[in-house]
Amino acid sequence: MGNSINYRTSLGCLLAMLLCLFGHAQQLPITNEAARLCQQLQLDAALEKSTESLNDKMESADAYAWYVNGFVLKEIYKNREYGLRNSSLRTAAMKSFATSLEKKNAQQHLAMTRLAMKYLASTYYNDALQAAQSIAEGGEQEANALFVEFEKWMPLAEPGISMTGYKKEFTKSIGQRYFSLWQRDTDNSENRDKAIAQYEKILKLDSSDVDAYYNLSVIHYNQAVFMYRKINHETDLFDMMTIQEAAAKLIREKALPLMDKAYALAPEKGEVVHGKIILHRALDHEKDVEYFKNEITRLIREGKIKAEQQK
Amino acid sequence: MVLAIRKYAFRLYCLTALLLSASRIVGQTIPADNTVAIIRANYLYQFANNSDWPSENKKGPFVVGIIGNTDVFDIMVAKYASKPIGSQLLTVIGANEVATAPHVHVLFVDRSKKAELAKYTRDLRGVSTLIVTNWEGALAQGAHVNFLSIDGSIRFEMNKTAMLESSITPGVKILQWAIQ
Repeated sequence: MGNSINYRTSLGCLLAMLLCLFGHAQQLPITNEAARLCQQLQLDAALEKSTESLNDKMESADAYAWYVNGFVLKEIYKNREYGLRNSSLRTAAMKSFATSLEKKNAQQHLAMTRLAMKYLASTYYNDALQAAQSIAEGGEQEANALFVEFEKWMPLAEPGISMTGYKKEFTKSIGQRYFSLWQRDTDNSENRDKAIAQYEKILKLDSSDVDAYYNLSVIHYNQAVFMYRKINHETDLFDMMTIQEAAAKLIREKALPLMDKAYALAPEKGEVVHGKIILHRALDHEKDVEYFKNEITRLIREGKIKAEQQK
Repeated sequence: MVLAIRKYAFRLYCLTALLLSASRIVGQTIPADNTVAIIRANYLYQFANNSDWPSENKKGPFVVGIIGNTDVFDIMVAKYASKPIGSQLLTVIGANEVATAPHVHVLFVDRSKKAELAKYTRDLRGVSTLIVTNWEGALAQGAHVNFLSIDGSIRFEMNKTAMLESSITPGVKILQWAIQ
């Protein structure tokens, strides 16, 4: 899906460039030559020509020269450095587009410049998400740096856009990564605490985010489960009761209130109702377990959730 | 069972798809562990390990029967089967085997089989079988030990007199932690 949209974007940009080329034929010969070479996919030659146009006092005063330069850099990035998170070509392309927007005649190429910038901004976002998924312990700087780039460019590409949704999704992605790292080493609470911090950050952005409440609840519940799992034949009765007290308290005082909030916001989400069943079962709340099991049955009957969510 | 945090299915986003996906609930896995069953199973092991049976019951396997709760049964098998109780090795059996077993040391009757308690107390009268249950009023119905839930923690009450009548002596730890 992403690929086809990117392809159409490029095609549209090329078409626009060709149309512009005709209009600028007289005034910007070097830039137009660069655009022609780019159209013929002679990207290195196009870049050379475009760079030459930027050294020309008259041509570099025109927004179109910067747009073409940005476009050529973008095409080279797509061909050679796509996925390279620290691509200097992408940075250079963005800077050229941004410079194009500052020129007196920026309005003439505004739509196409913004479209190209939007494409590149989205690659920053994709890379930020990918970097978030590969965070090693102790480091989320790269992901954050890429997201900062996205935050910097996206409002230029689409003025007035709300960044909250992107910020939430990105933060969730980092939270998920820390959660995964914690699952690999449940004795190390550092990653768990970092995951919690991410979901709490989301709630500061949006206090009605069901996912964040749900996931925070699950983290606390899992913490309790990992405590229970350590109980075995070597556990002394006193130790077992101490572990149980601490784990039940965690579920009762942290996990359940958070799941209650998720449920209040989304009472017909299968996962949340299932979460309520699990938490009440852990607290031996037999009547609540029955109630929410009946809710699941009702939601399936009414076609609001699928049967497999009952598991 | 462990709850799973909703998975944020990793996608290469095109911006349109991203905005459309904003309302989708995704998350992490909830573990499937039955934590109450983990506790009950451990208690059964503690009762076995911290009580004393007559000498004639100290030969062969130490048998724990589980009626009506597959989670407790599975955890008992996974964590405690073949563990030593004194000189005996713990064996876990289900309802069908309980009926034919020569002797059952500990019998857990889950509330889902509440109606069957009367049969077991009748059949096991005068036999050194520790009957453990998990519903209110079960001690009055003949159980020796009964699990209670207090603020989400599993505790237990016991009928010491009934235990002694069955020639089972509860250890200090058991007596110490029983709810009076």
